[in-house]
Amino acid sequence: MTTPENTYRHPFHSFFDCWLVELNNNLEKLVSAANHHHEDDDINDDPDSYSLIDKAVGHYEEYYKAKSDGANDVLSMFLPPWLTTLEDSFLWIGGWRPTTAVHLLYSKSGIQLEARLADLVPQLNCRDLGDLTSNQMKRIDELQKKTIGEERVISEKMARLQESAADTSMVDLSNMESEMIRKNEYHGRKDSDEKVESALNGKNDKLVEMLRMADGLRIETLKSVVEILTPLQAMYFLIAAAELHLRLHDWGMKKDAA
Amino acid sequence: MAGMCCGVVGEADTPSTVEPSGGRQGRRRRMEIHQLKFLAAAASDEVAPMPDKARKRRKVENLETIEKSVTGKSLIIPAACEKVVQPCDMMRKEDSRLESSSETEILLNSCKSMSETIVETLQHEEESRFGLTMVCGRRRDMEDAVAVKPLFCGDLHFYGVYDGHGCSHVATKCKDRMHEIVKDEVENRGESPEWKDTLATSFSRMDKEVTEWSEGASISNCRCELQTPQCDAVGSTAVVAVVTPEKIVVSNCGDSRAVLCRNGVAIPLSSDHKPDRPDELARIEEAGGRVIYWDGARVLGVLAMSRAIGDNYLKPYVIPEPEVTVTERTAEDECLILASDGLWDVVSNDVACNVARMCLSSQTPASPLRSPGNEVNVAGGESSDKACSDASILLTKLALARRSSDNVSVVVVDLRRNQKHVPN
Repeated sequence: MTTPENTYRHPFHSFFDCWLVELNNNLEKLVSAANHHHEDDDINDDPDSYSLIDKAVGHYEEYYKAKSDGANDVLSMFLPPWLTTLEDSFLWIGGWRPTTAVHLLYSKSGIQLEARLADLVPQLNCRDLGDLTSNQMKRIDELQKKTIGEERVISEKMARLQESAADTSMVDLSNMESEMIRKNEYHGRKDSDEKVESALNGKNDKLVEMLRMADGLRIETLKSVVEILTPLQAMYFLIAAAELHLRLHDWGMKKDAA
Repeated sequence: MAGMCCGVVGEADTPSTVEPSGGRQGRRRRMEIHQLKFLAAAASDEVAPMPDKARKRRKVENLETIEKSVTGKSLIIPAACEKVVQPCDMMRKEDSRLESSSETEILLNSCKSMSETIVETLQHEEESRFGLTMVCGRRRDMEDAVAVKPLFCGDLHFYGVYDGHGCSHVATKCKDRMHEIVKDEVENRGESPEWKDTLATSFSRMDKEVTEWSEGASISNCRCELQTPQCDAVGSTAVVAVVTPEKIVVSNCGDSRAVLCRNGVAIPLSSDHKPDRPDELARIEEAGGRVIYWDGARVLGVLAMSRAIGDNYLKPYVIPEPEVTVTERTAEDECLILASDGLWDVVSNDVACNVARMCLSSQTPASPLRSPGNEVNVAGGESSDKACSDASILLTKLALARRSSDNVSVVVVDLRRNQKHVPN
């Protein structure tokens, strides 16, 4: 999480560093709670486990809130300098792809299920993510369908926005300015600057809107998954999410430093 | 009503199932049974006039996880007995966002209102106990479809798994129509039909219907939008099992599979139609086609199976002609598993068989944690349905655990006789 001293640090960067530290704190608390309660039947009724889960989910909400507060600099939100190039390569409209949450759940659920089947006497009632009930499976599948649908809608909007980089006004403006440069008509530049500014502001607003929708779907998907799960399962899910998030960042840092 | 018969039939505006987050499987299940709620007959008019109306409204169905199994009695199933049921907890609104997305509707296909005495005498011959699970899994499109039709024709049960490719409309069409066609063919033949011919004719009719429908259809919400030539590149596997009191008839086209578990041994009742199966390869080449290895063996380098319903552009290399097996049922038969390749790609026949047996034999005693409160008694038949459901869900989870990258659809049918009222 270090940046060379001489480079510009985006204000969000410091927030992000703190946010990761906090994510790590939450992770360790969840791990300890899940371990502590592993054999305990009462975990699902324990108010402490709920507050721990709420805190972890709230931590993600804070992240998106901070992003939207900083949205006047939406361009850096789309290629965040505080992320590594590895993380950049997985970005979907400025963050993780919402359906990743379902895949994360299936992967973790599979790992916990396989761990149990490896035992000679499979314990089929651990109530971890390997124990997803058919009702839970059904709701996750519904959530996945719905999320895929919404991702497609947002992706389509994003496609239109990206195509608008070459809309008539952009092409016209770029041609006018090129002509002026050719003719050395500097006196016209100020007028043209305003037009450019206004055209780009229009795009900027649309980008802010895109980011808002994408972040909205991300947090909504995360919350939906957590709601489908029992508290213990939700803990395992949030643990897996935080571990993936943190380690991916570390791996990216190593790659970028190399 | 002592029990009822549920099957997901199509999409409608039923609110989604919402489950109490702290719940435990067994208790929840029993509660659902308890909470099955009959809607007024008037309401059932809206959805129940089954096949036709429901079929029209149906399009791509991405998910069905039926946890209830079906218990039907051939003697007492007047059509009027059909009712619409919904588990009450579907009505709860813990998560309003999910509600709008739910497209499932549970329809009571038949009902069991006869006295327990008659039930005991007849049920080992007549009833169907199954579990069904379908998930989109790690794919972005759901192209599987499943039809479970207990007592679809006299005392025969029908189970079909269809795994679509290109789009889901052929699989959906099979799900809607195949059992009706088979029924028609069976009835045309009267007593003791010749099964191979019956099913071969049915598959051929199904294929023709799909072709004609695609040519004539103008309204569709399909991804492929039914435009030629894309529409020609759409097809589906079909593995169909007709279970009679004496026989298991399996008809297969493509790479979905039916496996019988008999006394702990997995016996495949169908053989996958892969383009590199020597006899299939020979057939394709004889017809003038080629099998090209491009991400596996593919007919003309395109389709990774050698038989399918649909796929007009690959005819005559890819054919809708099924291979049919007829197996006499024995007292040692435990269960029948039908599944799409989302399961079979990662779980062997033997493992699937063992997992299903484990679930069937562990008639899990009620956990002391479960509240014994005002819940309906779970009849033996229903617990064993729960066992089938447990088996299908566990097999599905196992497929996902083993990184199946495809849609996963699993049907487990309990074939044991005289087990229903045996405690444990």
